[in-house]
Amino acid sequence: MRTARTVDPWHPSRILEKSSVTPTPHGDCIPRSEVFSPADRYVLPPMAEDLNWAIGGEAGDGIDSTGKIFAQAQSRAGRHVFTSKDFASRIRGGYTAYKIRSSTERVQSVVDRLDVLVALTQRTIDENLDELHEESIVVYDGERSWEAEIPDDVTGVDVPLKSLAEDAGGAIMRNVVALGAVCAIVDFPVEKLDEALEKRFGDKGEKIVENNEQAARMGAEYVQEEYGGFDYTLETTDSDYVLLNGDEAIGMGAIAAGCRFYAGYPITPATDVMEYLTGRIERFGGHVVQAEDELSAVNMALGAARAGARAMTATSGPGIDLMSETFGLVATSETPLVIADVMRAGPSTGMPTKQEQGDLNMLLYGGHGEVPRMVVAPTTVAECFQKTIEAFNLAERYQTPVYLVSDLSLAVTEQTFAPETFDMDAVDVDRGKVVDEETIDEYLDEQERFQPHYDAADGVSPRALPGTAGGAHMSTGLEHDELGRRTEDTDERIRQVEKRQRKVETARREEEWDYREFGDPDADTLVISWGSNEGAIVEAIDALAEDDVAVRFLSVPYLLPRPDLSDEIAAAERTLVVECNSKGQFADLLEHDVLERVDRVRKFDGVRFTADELAEAIRDAAAAEEVAA
Amino acid sequence: MSSDVRFTDFKSDKQPTWCPGCGDFGTMNGMMKALANTGADPDNTFLVAGIGCSGKIGTYMHSYALHGVHGRALPVGAGVKIANPDLEVMVAGGDGDGYSIGAGHFVHAARRNVDMTYVVMDNRIYGLTKGQASPTSREDFETATTPEGPKQPPVDPLALAHAAGATFIAQSFSSDAQRHTEIVQAAIEHDGFGFVNVFSPCVTFNDVDTYDYFRDSLVDLQETDHDPTDEDDAKAQIVDAETEQQGVVYRDPNSVPYSELRGLDSNMAEIPDGAPEDATDLVREFY
Repeated sequence: MRTARTVDPWHPSRILEKSSVTPTPHGDCIPRSEVFSPADRYVLPPMAEDLNWAIGGEAGDGIDSTGKIFAQAQSRAGRHVFTSKDFASRIRGGYTAYKIRSSTERVQSVVDRLDVLVALTQRTIDENLDELHEESIVVYDGERSWEAEIPDDVTGVDVPLKSLAEDAGGAIMRNVVALGAVCAIVDFPVEKLDEALEKRFGDKGEKIVENNEQAARMGAEYVQEEYGGFDYTLETTDSDYVLLNGDEAIGMGAIAAGCRFYAGYPITPATDVMEYLTGRIERFGGHVVQAEDELSAVNMALGAARAGARAMTATSGPGIDLMSETFGLVATSETPLVIADVMRAGPSTGMPTKQEQGDLNMLLYGGHGEVPRMVVAPTTVAECFQKTIEAFNLAERYQTPVYLVSDLSLAVTEQTFAPETFDMDAVDVDRGKVVDEETIDEYLDEQERFQPHYDAADGVSPRALPGTAGGAHMSTGLEHDELGRRTEDTDERIRQVEKRQRKVETARREEEWDYREFGDPDADTLVISWGSNEGAIVEAIDALAEDDVAVRFLSVPYLLPRPDLSDEIAAAERTLVVECNSKGQFADLLEHDVLERVDRVRKFDGVRFTADELAEAIRDAAAAEEVAA
Repeated sequence: MSSDVRFTDFKSDKQPTWCPGCGDFGTMNGMMKALANTGADPDNTFLVAGIGCSGKIGTYMHSYALHGVHGRALPVGAGVKIANPDLEVMVAGGDGDGYSIGAGHFVHAARRNVDMTYVVMDNRIYGLTKGQASPTSREDFETATTPEGPKQPPVDPLALAHAAGATFIAQSFSSDAQRHTEIVQAAIEHDGFGFVNVFSPCVTFNDVDTYDYFRDSLVDLQETDHDPTDEDDAKAQIVDAETEQQGVVYRDPNSVPYSELRGLDSNMAEIPDGAPEDATDLVREFY
């Protein structure tokens, strides 16, 4: 379709990113410059039939919903889609954009390249200068008050978006006119856009849908008449895809797993979990409570779980801070609970709409005292669904809090999948050890009292759900005996602490704590990552393989318990741990596990990794290795 | 529920460690009697206890129970009741738990109107930490942390509950066993959030709000022409009364509890062993 472009590697914005995406050795013991040699910027070769499209403007311009409509249209047309809303603002706040990478092949990340840009403001162009290339096309409205300054080597397509929208029925449809124009530019069937418009506006009435379809056609016809054809043909396929984001996948997984109670307090970027469940969980006999704060939310979920319901809450870092005291109670009272942390950039209020994986240490170690817990981190949107189901089973099997760790990137990324990825028939609900009126006798003491914290060999004592005859018992955040009553007896204390920890040990032994492996299993360069970076890394190492740079990549979704990577790290010449935080929290954890140093590829500017920059960082690290050798 | 439940069935075999003479003994006895009177059964009752002397009640009563973190008993109770509407849910705590650290939850529990009972054992002092001012301590009440008194007005629990939209507001005195039991029972039988502030004297750290003080000063609303279902009457009592009172101050006869208002009547603990039927519809929505 077209050739890869070259860019100025010393564009100021590139230098800024370089300083934040840098492989560094452990701590500060070696100056960064000794392991990082400036090299040409790495540019991922274009995938077959891929399109990198974006729309940008001011907050309130309807950017998100317009982007979603085009993503939906491409999904309907059998194209794989990967979207991103977390653009870096290089100038100042108030700018918002929605980016779609699409292809007939599976796409798993964004790249630093824009083929078609709909710019509602000059700033949209300025923000994306270094992503535009010689064959890029910028759609703008020349009738607007601003005079578009478009780089000389980029094609500008001037479409009177507002006027055409007014002709179609209202200026509000300006963005839809632009989508119609884009259809003409990239030769995409406008009928597929109609399907997406119907889905988006169907409940607002036929007239609204018709007006929007008309607006799209006017945009398309204008481009055809004024500009003729362009050198694009966007391939479509007959494949059926579903398009969803990570928060929706968590919500759908929760319902599939039998979650019936959700309490939460709105917080970016976790709110979509609550909004997804609201109106849907009711159809399955469940309920969502919008609590007065996170303290209340987690305690309501705890109450519902004590009553026997599968319950969850979702929040982001600040909410986890507030809930931490109760997590200790959840663990000590041995209550199954799933807590989703959709991370954003911290600390404090931080950057609420920006990416970071900075909560790992808090999730592993947070809270006073020693809190047995499990930490599971889905690595893709699809895994948000599967790991949520798994989290509920783990929580009930071991009666502990299970933290499901997602992040802003997963939460806002709309991604296509084959519908069978979300296989409801494969869902297995394991409620763990629960007594009924028949089996309760086995767990009564000599005075016929039920022992909720019975010191079982595997640490897991059966639960008696309220309403079970003969099972009435107390549970408490105080240290307690097997009956659940307060005790400060040293032997009882030791017994119960060990019992609770033993559950995690049992889980470590009984469950599979695996990782996913990609790339060349014999490569000298080993990349390890957790959470949402998987897609970008996979694309980066695929591209590097084409250039004969061999890389082995392990994507780890289980953080506690977690797989033992000693052998893998020992076998590699060099290990790079990729994560979105400044300290390298997962790298610290691995060093602790294997007693070996690893290198870090970190990013903490609030923007997710792109495949290009990871390819660059990995390639340079591998090259440094060769120089050292 | 069995009909032959006696109030002693709600008693555990653990002996309370409250100070001899503590008001909490009477408060708890009344709660157990009220539960038995309404036909509740320990296996179908869930008690949520806060932190403080009052919070120990979960250990001394026999039922399903959770002794939680400080101030968060009400949300736990709401979660239990919404998840399983068949359970009788009672939340108990002290004035610190309910009106200080948990005051936010008190306000929202009142407006949420989940069908449960909230008993606050109000002794106007922090007893377990050995005598500091509580949110209901008098302005001039001298303690180790307030040597000249708090110098701020005490929280008025009844007014706070009313302002938040509570549908049942009552007050009782732990030492008046019969009336206390009746009032708690009325709170249990109320359809919605039944709130009872119980004067439960601390004999160790509070020498002002004593048994004698309450005995001498309390006016029983039952012995007046007060109509608890008349909101204006209730408002007058809450805002203008010059004496402390016991009895049902306000009861909204039209109260519709949270779950009923939302058509929630199933036990959420009961789920299939796979994905629910029609779950595939959820996937189709994303086409």
